[in-house]
Amino acid sequence: MIYIVTALPCEASPIVKKYDLKRDSACRHFPLYRGDDMFLIVSGVGKMASAIATAYLIAQNVKLDGAGGEEGLAIINIGVCGTLNQRYPIGTPLLIHKVIDHETGKQYFPDILIEHPFEEGSIETHNDVVRREDVLSGRVELQADLVDMEASGFFQAASRFLALHQIYVIKVVGDYLDVVDFDRQRVAQCVSGVMDALDGFIKQVEGLCRVEGDVLTQDERLQLERVKESLRLTVTQSHQLMDMARRYKLRTGRPLPDLSEFIQTRVKVKAEGRKAIERIRKLFLYE
Amino acid sequence: MRESESCSFMSKFSHIYIEERAAAYPVAQHVLSRFPGSIRVMIRHYKDVFNRPHQDFRRQKASTKLILAVKQEPFLYPGPEVCEDFGNQNFYYTSPVLNCIYDCDYCYLQGLYPSANIVIFVNIEDFCKAVDRQLESGPLYLCPSYDTDLLALEGIVPYASRWIEFAGTRQGLRIELRTRSANYSAIADLNPVEQVILAWSLSPHEVARRYERLAPSLKARLTAIRAALQDGWQVRLCFEPLIKVHNWQQVYREFLDEVFSIIPAERVFDTNIGVFRMSKEQFKRISRLRSDTDVFAFPTVCREGGVVTYEDEKEIRGFFYQNLNRYLPEEKIYG
Repeated sequence: MIYIVTALPCEASPIVKKYDLKRDSACRHFPLYRGDDMFLIVSGVGKMASAIATAYLIAQNVKLDGAGGEEGLAIINIGVCGTLNQRYPIGTPLLIHKVIDHETGKQYFPDILIEHPFEEGSIETHNDVVRREDVLSGRVELQADLVDMEASGFFQAASRFLALHQIYVIKVVGDYLDVVDFDRQRVAQCVSGVMDALDGFIKQVEGLCRVEGDVLTQDERLQLERVKESLRLTVTQSHQLMDMARRYKLRTGRPLPDLSEFIQTRVKVKAEGRKAIERIRKLFLYE
Repeated sequence: MRESESCSFMSKFSHIYIEERAAAYPVAQHVLSRFPGSIRVMIRHYKDVFNRPHQDFRRQKASTKLILAVKQEPFLYPGPEVCEDFGNQNFYYTSPVLNCIYDCDYCYLQGLYPSANIVIFVNIEDFCKAVDRQLESGPLYLCPSYDTDLLALEGIVPYASRWIEFAGTRQGLRIELRTRSANYSAIADLNPVEQVILAWSLSPHEVARRYERLAPSLKARLTAIRAALQDGWQVRLCFEPLIKVHNWQQVYREFLDEVFSIIPAERVFDTNIGVFRMSKEQFKRISRLRSDTDVFAFPTVCREGGVVTYEDEKEIRGFFYQNLNRYLPEEKIYG
């Protein structure tokens, strides 16, 4: 499952089109789009807006997506950015390996573990629009290759929920800090131009974030749930039971032994449950 | 690039994170020259990368990054209780590198560090100065290859040879360089140094094959050991951790037969035995992470002092000791 955060509708539209995402009219707080394996949210401009939308997207949907929960998803912030560096032609996509928050000075580092088609770079997130003359006059000192207004907020919010290999920032060079009239069509073109590369990257990320299957089968998990219930196990005992069952399977490579005896047992006092779990322990550890 | 079933990982050390203050050190320049194609990312402090929350140790192992940093005090740490001191007074260890290029299922480092990335501290001279200060108060037994494998990393950062050369110039200093590597050729041109013990960790073929991913085979290690002995080095054989496998008695008996069919027992400096053990906290953390291995699946107990080991640890140790004793006198067996 891939979650995408863009700041602007014109950044979102090529992605919505490519993946045939549908607007979720039930979401009153943000423009939210859904597809089979994808959610896209339009946050609005600014790091605070991006952080709020990112947190909302993850918190609202992570339990519903059914693809391994938090572990099975990745989140990508996609949008345009500015740079003073003419080395990057307009339309160049960069995968970000360092995010600097201009106001706090804090630095954030995504984990880039997979092959990707992008050049890499650093980005500095500002509260306000940075103009060429601000930098050339020395009023603003840049510490990164690129400038934007969302990445640090996005990253901080996402990293509260997800592991670092699940969080990506992809920025497309949209201007040289010299924008006079904002051109939505041009922004959309910038994002459209990287869709093929983005599509390949998303497939890689999905592969990376795929959750390994549990060593226990669904039937075995069901059987163990019944044992927990009939023996009235405490939370700790339940964890122990699952742990023992997984170790048994890893060690022996065989299916779990028959536990129907324990499913039929109805314990009335805790001591009976303790005795039963001790018998299961012996069964799992020494068979 | 390593292909997995579902994605292509970037090559090892595709990225090198460099502390601003570390960049100018000769060691940093040396390491960077070894990886001209790596992406370099400047950082303020190594902990900004190494200690980030929510890192996935397992996935990072598939595309490990390097971090170049400057270590600050302390440089030396007292030897841990669970480690054998081999009868030496003033047992210390030091960590000029954090983490290892190998990927052993049972490794305690995956429960110790939040990251699988490798930190190289580039200010090796400061480590040496700390040793000199310690030597002022008496002899020192030092292990600089505990939280890493310096010989395995010799091609990236030549710290094994650096410690050997340093030890050769210091009275009262004895150094153990522990390794799983077969990379003896990297230091073969050095003259053997009396103050240095090259210590090889050995496991049966079955254990190495199943649980020591990326580490050299038993045969390759034995070949390296034989070459080191022939050159006149003092060699220690470390039989730890002893890992339980199916039919472990036969596996370990045949293992010792194989070891001493290649290594002349009378030339071995000493040995130690250590049954698999780790702190309760580390065991809990790692066994939760590692649902892909059965290495933690045998019955364990938590002993006094919060150390988890096999229920039948004494039996395993006793069995191994008896068999090792067929080849070596008891004064050469520790642990």
